[in-house]
Amino acid sequence: MKHATTGLLPFFLPASGGQRYCLLHLPAPSQPSRGGIVYLHPFAEELNKSRRVAALQARAFADAGYSVLQIDLHGCGDSGGDFADARWSTWRNDVHLACAWLQQRVSGPLTLWGLRLGALLALDIARHPPVPLARLLLWQPELSGRRSMDQFLRLRLAARMLSNEGKPETAGHARAQLAAGQAIEVAGYTLAPELIQAIDELDAARLAPTVPVYWLEYSASATTLPAPAARLVQQWRDDGAQLHIAAFGDGAFWSSAEILECPQLLHATRQMCDDWMTEAGSVPHG
Amino acid sequence: MPHPETDTVGITVQQLLCLTLGLGTRPLTAQTPLLGSLPELDSMAVISVITALENQFGFEVADDDIHARHFATVGSLSDFVRARLPA
Repeated sequence: MKHATTGLLPFFLPASGGQRYCLLHLPAPSQPSRGGIVYLHPFAEELNKSRRVAALQARAFADAGYSVLQIDLHGCGDSGGDFADARWSTWRNDVHLACAWLQQRVSGPLTLWGLRLGALLALDIARHPPVPLARLLLWQPELSGRRSMDQFLRLRLAARMLSNEGKPETAGHARAQLAAGQAIEVAGYTLAPELIQAIDELDAARLAPTVPVYWLEYSASATTLPAPAARLVQQWRDDGAQLHIAAFGDGAFWSSAEILECPQLLHATRQMCDDWMTEAGSVPHG
Repeated sequence: MPHPETDTVGITVQQLLCLTLGLGTRPLTAQTPLLGSLPELDSMAVISVITALENQFGFEVADDDIHARHFATVGSLSDFVRARLPA
């Protein structure tokens, strides 16, 4: 029923190296369960910038009858542990834990939904999923781990430029430190070389999904896809992937200085996911 | 300097700045100062602007080019883009 009360349950999930903060969005008790969705957040500060839009979408899924579990990965957000101790393998374990937790409590198919690096994590998980996955929902996926980390490392150069400190940082200095096995600090986050190395090795082109993919990509023109996304779509389709893709033009809400609400993205997601989100008849009435 | 009304690079750069920094309808001209004048331009925003320019114009910005002189004004940023486009 529309406007019946959906629920919100924050809790801590015990995991290795401390507890993980989780937020569970529940459909109204009167509503039949249509399945579970695990949300994977983006990297570092993007997690905070995107909380608002992620919460709006999670709420929309709950309205449609889905239980949505948002988990803050080890060392991120309100979870335990330091960012410096975060490792890709730990994050993968966190996702396994979240999927298992949700599947034990919610009947129906399980969807992985990720934003930016969270989407790349979802693609990585989907190669060897801990439980069967029905589909992937990718919001502005990072396509190259190496490129995403290069862009993050640029924050050091930008911060130096803004603070107007005499000597600019030498280009490539951060990479050299990482290669020498040293942790580095970027925008208040301490990065372990092991984490960056694992992310560097990820390439969406080699992670062609075997479950249906629903992909939303930001485009300033809101109609044509950026070239790298268009290339990968073609390649994945050649690999046999079942793929839906649409563009949205609200803005880069994961990094914008202003908190954006992104009505276009929410609308495009609803339209694209209509076959499993709102389609009449897919819910048993009773 | 290109004529303001036919300067497509300049117009596109202004649009990207408005969209990326969430400036809304605040009017920008080539003379509008950026670094030190726009509170929205924090380090994350600088990177977003650079990434948006790369995606829009199809070139890659080298780390050495992340320099204050290119971010002085809307005009200097447009000049920076023009210098990286094929003639």
